[in-house]
Amino acid sequence: MTSHEGKQFPLRGLVLILAVIVLVACGEVKDGSGNKRETIALFTKNQVNPYFQTLRVAAQAAANELNVDLVNYIPTENDSIREQMSQIEDAITKRPSAAVFIPVDSKAMIPGVEKFNAAGIPVVNLTDRADGGEFVSFMGCDDYAVAADTARYLFKKMNGKGNVIIIEGQGGSSNNQKRMGGFKKALEEFPDIKLLASQTGNFQRSVALQVTENLLQAHSQIDGILAANDSMALGVIEALDAANRKALVIGLNGTKEAIDAVKAGKLLATGDCDGFLQGCMGTMGAVRHLRNLPVPKEIIFPITVFDSTNYQGADVPYEQRMCPKWESIVKE
Amino acid sequence: MKYRLIGLLLIGIALALSSDAFATPSNLLNVLRQASLIFLSASGLTLVIVGAGLDLSVGANLGLSACFAAAAIKSTGALSLGLVAGLACGTIVGVLNGLMVTKLRLPPFIATYGMLWMLYGVNYWYMKGDTIYGFPAEFRALGSGDLLGIPVPVYLMMVGLLAGGIFTRYTTFGHEIYAIGANVEAARLSGIPVSSRLILLYTLSGAMAGLAGVVYLARLNSAEAGIGTPLLLPAIAAVLIGGTSLFGGSGGLAGTLIGAIVLTLVLNGMNLLGINSNWQPLVTGVIILLAALIDSITRKHAEIRA
Repeated sequence: MTSHEGKQFPLRGLVLILAVIVLVACGEVKDGSGNKRETIALFTKNQVNPYFQTLRVAAQAAANELNVDLVNYIPTENDSIREQMSQIEDAITKRPSAAVFIPVDSKAMIPGVEKFNAAGIPVVNLTDRADGGEFVSFMGCDDYAVAADTARYLFKKMNGKGNVIIIEGQGGSSNNQKRMGGFKKALEEFPDIKLLASQTGNFQRSVALQVTENLLQAHSQIDGILAANDSMALGVIEALDAANRKALVIGLNGTKEAIDAVKAGKLLATGDCDGFLQGCMGTMGAVRHLRNLPVPKEIIFPITVFDSTNYQGADVPYEQRMCPKWESIVKE
Repeated sequence: MKYRLIGLLLIGIALALSSDAFATPSNLLNVLRQASLIFLSASGLTLVIVGAGLDLSVGANLGLSACFAAAAIKSTGALSLGLVAGLACGTIVGVLNGLMVTKLRLPPFIATYGMLWMLYGVNYWYMKGDTIYGFPAEFRALGSGDLLGIPVPVYLMMVGLLAGGIFTRYTTFGHEIYAIGANVEAARLSGIPVSSRLILLYTLSGAMAGLAGVVYLARLNSAEAGIGTPLLLPAIAAVLIGGTSLFGGSGGLAGTLIGAIVLTLVLNGMNLLGINSNWQPLVTGVIILLAALIDSITRKHAEIRA
């Protein structure tokens, strides 16, 4: 590059960077500081998984009901440890009343939780358990049990016999390990169900689609397919449709799209720990703690396997759903 | 080129010997269908890299184009509008990339990396974590349909390959790209309008990303903000495995086709053989490195003999 160009670059680069900052700032959620209302900082893992979107809508609904402000912290890079860590630091400088925290990684985010603890900001740990730090409460679902229940449901529908394949999630993620553990547990209980292949779809629809296309080539008789999340289950269904093949498919998470697929008869079932309920309860728990009301140290949410007989409960746009009463979930 | 074809054949023969399901017409068509998606997203990028540029925004651009196309179809019901929306989005992003590189004189890496994040930002804001899904069968045929037994995206790939081949080999513009990639100053002094050529290249890359986005949407039958994220690295890998140099001035679309097929074969083979998921990233890495190594050894060999 010539020196002439070298001189131009910083100024023009700066203009570009400023433009980016303005753009990003426009997308930023409103800052809740500057008034006396309680502020809850909600940390979710990414912008793309519909599960967290449901959870955020629910948290906002709870915040409105309880008359508190909610500030969202979402990494722009999906599940970024580095970004969530710096968002924790940002949040602490703004001093929210409490934090509702879903760690992007159970172990790597322990120092982040400790920063909250050091700053004296109470934290409710939601959805995925952090392996360290002090919490008001852990609220989540037992991924292992959800996966096992949903797999058992599939195997019963197959009359306890036939060939299945598993589409795994992201290797190394603790979510995936628990879900695989649940699938394997259910497989042990049904000795006549034969596992033909277990391959990773990285929790992504496009990868699951491609992997299923490949597995359909290798195995001429597949009766059931277990996908470790709903996005992948829907990719599996696209692959089956394109190849004119039939198999019973299950997913996990109970997303809106999966419920629609259940309604259309394409997806057998999706196991769920209701993201909406989690968003409600996390926010309510944090506010209860601030108002000196009791909050249990641990809440494990009930499991639902949504199929063609019971999907109606989840078939409501989340904007119209209401948070349940705290007492209807927590019985003391 | 010859050596890369031999490498591809070796991988094919090894897979055919180890899995009965591999060398069947239906699986080979399956591989071509999967490879065509990588090829489409990498085709414009190949020409940019030949011109010594780089476009890191192809994945993000593909994702945004797919989401806009999805929204257009959902709100109007017109499939053609979806195609127009996707192509327009991709093309505009390409023009902006070209302007940043030529008029603002930003290094291509920085310009298109910045663009990548801006596109993610726009897409996250636009989609708000939602998914747009459920498209008519006529539209889905573009991604998952067959015509005379051959997958539709494979036809698109063939058209792209043919058009690109004629363009690079028989047009002045095509020759100029290689001249710009080999030595931009020399190209400028010899009277090639470098800026306008580069803008056109980035525009082409953007348009192809937009087209790939629409095909991808048709194949997945759904769009979400993260749809393009996993596609950037395979696109770049396909170009480089195909022998196009990151320094510009050499390579071409036929190589990228081979690169796309190699990448597809790796996953196809691992799935057919049932290789444990935990080992798959390692196997993928080793095969990509081997492909690059064979290429560099054979190239040195050829240079010594020449």
